[in-house]
Amino acid sequence: MTPNPLRLLLSLETRRAADPIRNPSAGTWISVGVPAVLGVAALWLGADSVRPDLRGGDGAITLGLMVSAPVAFWAYPILFRPADDALLRRLGIPARASYWLRAMRLAALALLILVLLMIPYAATGTLGPLPLAVAATAGLMAWGTSLSSLSGAAETIANPGRRLELTSMMMGPDAELVRAGPLVWAPLPPVIFGAFAARIALVGVLPPAAWLAAFAGLAAVLALRGAGRFERAAPRFLPQAAEMAYAPAPETGDAGLVIGRGLARVLPPRAGAVRARDAAVVARRFRWAGRIVWPVSVVCVLAILRAGERPAVQGWVAAAGALVLGMQAAAIIGLGRLERGGRRWLDRAAGLATADRLLGRWAAAFGMALALVIPVGITWAMILPGSGAWTWVAAAAASALVASAASLAAAGR
Amino acid sequence: MTMPAGDAPPLAVEGLRKAYRRGVVLDGVSFTLRPGEAVALLGGNGAGKSTLLGCVTGDRLPDRGEVRLCGHDPFKDPTAAAGCIGFVPEQPFLYGELTVGELLQFVAAARRMDASAARAECGRLLGMLGLAGAEGTLCRELSQGMGRKTAIIAALLHRPRAILLDEALNGLDRPSAERLLAELDARRAEGAAVLISSHDLELVAEWCSRGLLLRGGGWWAMLEGAEWEAWRRAPSLEAGSATSD
Repeated sequence: MTPNPLRLLLSLETRRAADPIRNPSAGTWISVGVPAVLGVAALWLGADSVRPDLRGGDGAITLGLMVSAPVAFWAYPILFRPADDALLRRLGIPARASYWLRAMRLAALALLILVLLMIPYAATGTLGPLPLAVAATAGLMAWGTSLSSLSGAAETIANPGRRLELTSMMMGPDAELVRAGPLVWAPLPPVIFGAFAARIALVGVLPPAAWLAAFAGLAAVLALRGAGRFERAAPRFLPQAAEMAYAPAPETGDAGLVIGRGLARVLPPRAGAVRARDAAVVARRFRWAGRIVWPVSVVCVLAILRAGERPAVQGWVAAAGALVLGMQAAAIIGLGRLERGGRRWLDRAAGLATADRLLGRWAAAFGMALALVIPVGITWAMILPGSGAWTWVAAAAASALVASAASLAAAGR
Repeated sequence: MTMPAGDAPPLAVEGLRKAYRRGVVLDGVSFTLRPGEAVALLGGNGAGKSTLLGCVTGDRLPDRGEVRLCGHDPFKDPTAAAGCIGFVPEQPFLYGELTVGELLQFVAAARRMDASAARAECGRLLGMLGLAGAEGTLCRELSQGMGRKTAIIAALLHRPRAILLDEALNGLDRPSAERLLAELDARRAEGAAVLISSHDLELVAEWCSRGLLLRGGGWWAMLEGAEWEAWRRAPSLEAGSATSD
């Protein structure tokens, strides 16, 4: 009897997920476990700052955004860019089976985010049905809308007779970006509807549990709609999605790596070379980790300048800073995972010692964070003298150290 | 252009065009792979060999042109087209978390093969490529050559009618390469067709009956008959006259 394709994919997924237990390695556990423990500890210790207050609709919207934004933005790689996508298509796995497996992965991500966001409520003794229902409503709505919205965008792009929409034509002069326009806008509906659903769940006329059930039904309908759209889009869109990963040569490509400039001069030459290499790879492979810094820095500086004396503002600035440092740490650990499976041969061939690699990678990670901690730390010191502005620099250095060590552990032998 | 799968050639390509940001790679490429034949896909680095294979397998979307695998369009009927081909990419993806045995078991199940027949065929192919006893090895622990052999077995397991090999002989030891070619000969005798890309020009000159030469920029030529015989005597990536212009 031949197995159902989805059941086959689920058994494969279970086997892959169980790999850290079936074939345990220190590198895997350290690279995931240490940042996870530190992240949970940070959420627990900073609970008062990062816990949206659910006594009003604004708090519900904030909690809704915190759940729905990561779901919406991770939906694209989860739906369209899994590493085994081409293999599964060549094996004749139907697109619908792949879709439902990926929908389950997205649901698992939403659940993980929900659990993480409940930690501050647990730490402050306010965990109860209300925050759970509000966050779950937002998560479900973001999940269903993401599946429908992104699959719809893919279907639009894959349509050979497509006429460009006005929103796509607004994307700028790059023809490829214009063609991908629907995907650029697709994460917005899940973010907005997720936050909207959270607010309704809190302040609507029905009890939150009733709203949760209603939105769960709506999310299921949207997910079913997404399945049809994904199935129609898959044969033409998935090859295009793989090509969208093509990165044009960087503008600074001709200049070569900048080794030993500025503060990096104090590094030993080998560590300096590692820093330059790692900084360039992270900046190109995980571009979001660098791009997130400037908007957050500007907003944080403005917030401190305008209302830095208010504890709530201090809390939000600290939370935003921690989020950026966390994202950058994820990029550095991701760099280590890229090196897994033999890509470290170059370091071995060049005779780079572990100390060189650790120091260089730490310097790259720390350098990436400086664009955040220097302007925010200086502004913090100006507005709140004696409030420990150096904590920002120390936090960045410590976060970079943990991320670098975890990254090397992830890289393996 | 759809024909019954049994009568249709294993692979038919008509007017294929593909361009990237850096320029046109394939332009108007047309050829048919007949049952039982082996065609060499020739060209230097970046000439478009992998792009052509990607367009054929449905991994890359052509800008223009048609591809039929056993009569099926890989972009309209991907499941039927997938049943026709066995493809070994230049950098094959293997699930690092699975053992060789588990991976092949998964591939056989995805191909809806009978479990006992698949087990027997796996054992035979593993033995042929010198991987007997490696069933319990995690794919992430395999050497490059062993990984490639695993990918080859995964591609041949369901006895495809169109066998596409992108630098599949790279990293294989000589005896394994010879045994693989013998296996491919046996498959050809059963009616399968092979399209093989390789930088080992002497080997493909000896083994193939035609050659598709790509030189980048959309230039291509099908070397056959006297032209192929002449090329076989002095294999070179510079030979041939363009068909595309």
